[in-house]
Amino acid sequence: MPRMQAATRNTPIEAAMNAIANPRRRQILRLVWDTERSAGEIAATVDEVSWPAVSQNLRLLKDSGLITERREGTHRYYRADRRALGPLEAVLRQMWTRDLGRLRDLAEQEARSRKNRHD
Amino acid sequence: MIEDLTGAIEITQRIEASPEIVFAYLTDSQRFVRWMGVGAELDARPGGRYRIDVDGVHIASGAYEIIDPPRRLVMSWGWEGHPTVPPGSTTVEITLTSDRGATVLKLRHLGLPGEGERRTHTEGWVQYLSQLAAAGGRH
Repeated sequence: MPRMQAATRNTPIEAAMNAIANPRRRQILRLVWDTERSAGEIAATVDEVSWPAVSQNLRLLKDSGLITERREGTHRYYRADRRALGPLEAVLRQMWTRDLGRLRDLAEQEARSRKNRHD
Repeated sequence: MIEDLTGAIEITQRIEASPEIVFAYLTDSQRFVRWMGVGAELDARPGGRYRIDVDGVHIASGAYEIIDPPRRLVMSWGWEGHPTVPPGSTTVEITLTSDRGATVLKLRHLGLPGEGERRTHTEGWVQYLSQLAAAGGRH
C-alpha cells in the first residue's frame, strides 16, 4: 500500500497533527472513535457542505493512518485506528534521535571553527 | 545506537567536539534552540526550570535536578497539558564522556508509561493532539 508508506514517513505526531488541524476532520474522528460508520452516515452527521469535501477529509484521515476503511459492495465503512499514533516511546525516540543529530552537527561545526581560529 | 529498556529510551551519539562545547549546547538557551524546538528558556542550575517550545504547539518543561558540567545533566521532563506525561512525570539524564578528543553523549529518557498503559496513553495522545489543534485554531 504505497499511500500508507508515504504517511508513515512523517513522524506519527506530524501526520496526526496535520490530519486533525481541521475541525471537520476532528469531528469525523470523534464520530468513528468507538464505532464503525458508513460514509453516508458520516456525511449526514458532519457539518460539511458537500460530499466531495467529506470524501476528501476521509481520504486525508485514512492516509495519515488515523482511520481505516473497509469496503463492502459499493459501501465504504470507516473507524478510528487508535494504534496509528504508536506508542509514546516511538515518538520520543524519533524526536531525540533527530534532535541529537542536529546537536552533533552544530557542536562539531563549533569545534572546527574554534580549532581554525587557534591554528 | 538505540536500545530499548523497560519504560525507557537510551540513545548514544558520538560527537567530534569537546564535552565543554557539547555541554554548552545543552545548557545555553541560544545554542540549545538551534538543535531543539523553536524557542527555549533555560535556567540551567540545580533547581532551575526550563521551558521548550518544541514545535510552536507543544511545550516541554521541567526542572534541573543535577548539573555537573561538563559531564552530567539530569532533568525532569514532560509536556504541559499532556494527560499521561505531564511536567515532572519523566526524567531525562544526559552523560558526556570524553573519548580521544571527542564526546560520547548518552541520553536516557526514564519513567515512561509502561506497556499496560499503552492503550490509555494512545487515547490520551489523540485527545491531547485534538485539544492542541483546537487551541491553535483559536489564535
